[in-house]
Amino acid sequence: MANTTTQTGHDTPTTAMQSGPKDSIPVSASKRCRQFFWRSWAIQDSWNYERQMNMGFLYGIAPTIDRLYPDENDPQQVEKRKEAYKRHMAFYNCTPQTSAFVLGLSSSMEEEYACDPEHFDPETINAVKTSLMGPLSGIGDSFFQGTIRVIAFGLGASLAAQGSFLGPILAMVISAAFSIPITYYCGKFGYEMGNSYLERLQHGAMEKVMYACGIVGLMAIGGMVATMVDITTPATFASGTLELQSVLDQIFPQMLSIAAVMVMYGLIKKNVKTGWLLVICILGGILLSACGVLA
Amino acid sequence: MNTFGMAVLIGLVGIFCILDSRLLGRLNFEQPLITSAIVGLLLGNPTAGLASGATIELMSMGLVQVGAAVPPDMCMAGIIATAFAILTSADPQTAVAIAVPIAVLGQLLGVLFRTVIAGLGHAADAAIDEGEFKKVTNYHIVWGTVLYSLMYFIPIFLAIYLGTGFVQNLVDAIPAWFTNGLDFAAKLLTAYGLALLLSMMMNKGMMAFFLVGFFVCAYGGLSVTAISIFGVLVAIILTTLRFGKDSRPALGSDEDHDSLEDDD
Repeated sequence: MANTTTQTGHDTPTTAMQSGPKDSIPVSASKRCRQFFWRSWAIQDSWNYERQMNMGFLYGIAPTIDRLYPDENDPQQVEKRKEAYKRHMAFYNCTPQTSAFVLGLSSSMEEEYACDPEHFDPETINAVKTSLMGPLSGIGDSFFQGTIRVIAFGLGASLAAQGSFLGPILAMVISAAFSIPITYYCGKFGYEMGNSYLERLQHGAMEKVMYACGIVGLMAIGGMVATMVDITTPATFASGTLELQSVLDQIFPQMLSIAAVMVMYGLIKKNVKTGWLLVICILGGILLSACGVLA
Repeated sequence: MNTFGMAVLIGLVGIFCILDSRLLGRLNFEQPLITSAIVGLLLGNPTAGLASGATIELMSMGLVQVGAAVPPDMCMAGIIATAFAILTSADPQTAVAIAVPIAVLGQLLGVLFRTVIAGLGHAADAAIDEGEFKKVTNYHIVWGTVLYSLMYFIPIFLAIYLGTGFVQNLVDAIPAWFTNGLDFAAKLLTAYGLALLLSMMMNKGMMAFFLVGFFVCAYGGLSVTAISIFGVLVAIILTTLRFGKDSRPALGSDEDHDSLEDDD
């Protein structure tokens, strides 16, 4: 086995695969960190409304997966690789800079799973991702967009208004000075933390992790439904004197938002095709809005 | 320099602007302060570029794109408005007046584009099934880059090439019901994305936690960060109660990881 690059020995996954040839490419710790760095910066490259940064995350973790299942001629490895690729196509959204942490942690979990597929539930990986993205984007967005951006560009704009080219330059320097080291160390610490935690995890402990991650993740999703969807109705009754929205708000706030999510959830559970759901969202959305039912 | 050449140049500034948040993790190089200065340099009037940049920057300071919310696109508007200000010798204040309708148009385009581009994800799903792994990552890094670049280049190019009057007419011609409808469709798509996430995370008997998260935020007005912190604490308490005191904190709850207490 050529993998002697990490202290922990987690980079020796192909030993778990009896039939796999031992030609997996060793990777240095610094190359891995560089990959986390650039790929978490590129995480928004295909941002969309449906699953947001899902392909960006997959792009970030793809080198790790490819290193774990390198043999394209071994059907077993190809199957494992497809599974892993599909796993990381799930909804994801997080500040690019702090995403490096999730990328590092998930990569070390993928390695752990490849080493020990018997005792490691791969669902844990997505559970961890989901439970981390809420707090990390909360911290990341408020730090980078709320704090650093406002300071850097407030300062820069006041200099530029006096006619100094130092304004835009200073704003760029301040932004980069925080973004670069934070992204780099997020990736590095995420990967290392994954290793040190996973080493300690007994096989039975997985249930515990799933349970705890489920709680954090579901509570965060609940919070996102309450704060990010924001569906209301402009409908009124009794010739405009009774607003339906205020009646609904008296029962409980954001009622229509959670109703929309639960309807979608029900349709997904009924295995309605994604294409149809997208059509329902876009055409149905325009129709409902034009009729003045929802907004 | 003719209008065509200038339109291409300014369009390239647009590509620089959009790729900042696509490939550089949003280093804020997309902000009007920076892009207006570049437009000023390219059009040979750096002072006017700086002045427009400062004005538009202060105007758009409060607009932050977080998560799925798309505010009026001041990044695109800043570039076009600055170019118009310099080309028509208008003052920065006029440039700002031009910037607002363009920003709304840019926002509409952004919503539409980010809805349509979801198709790339489905193409990638299919490519995984076929085992074409290189193709999968290319959908992200190649197609994503190209399409987002075009999304900025084309409208900026057309706006400069065809002129202010045309932009204003276009904005006026779009019916309000269509704009509102797209806004609402974007909300439904967000609901769909969250429902996907929910169906992935939901296990038996876990519904209550989702509802706790929802109601605490809906009634209490808490942010997602706040509810996540409570979630971590609830998870620690319940995991301890359910599995005994020896339980290690969950992977997700690394906030309470203390490196000094590692050796137990």
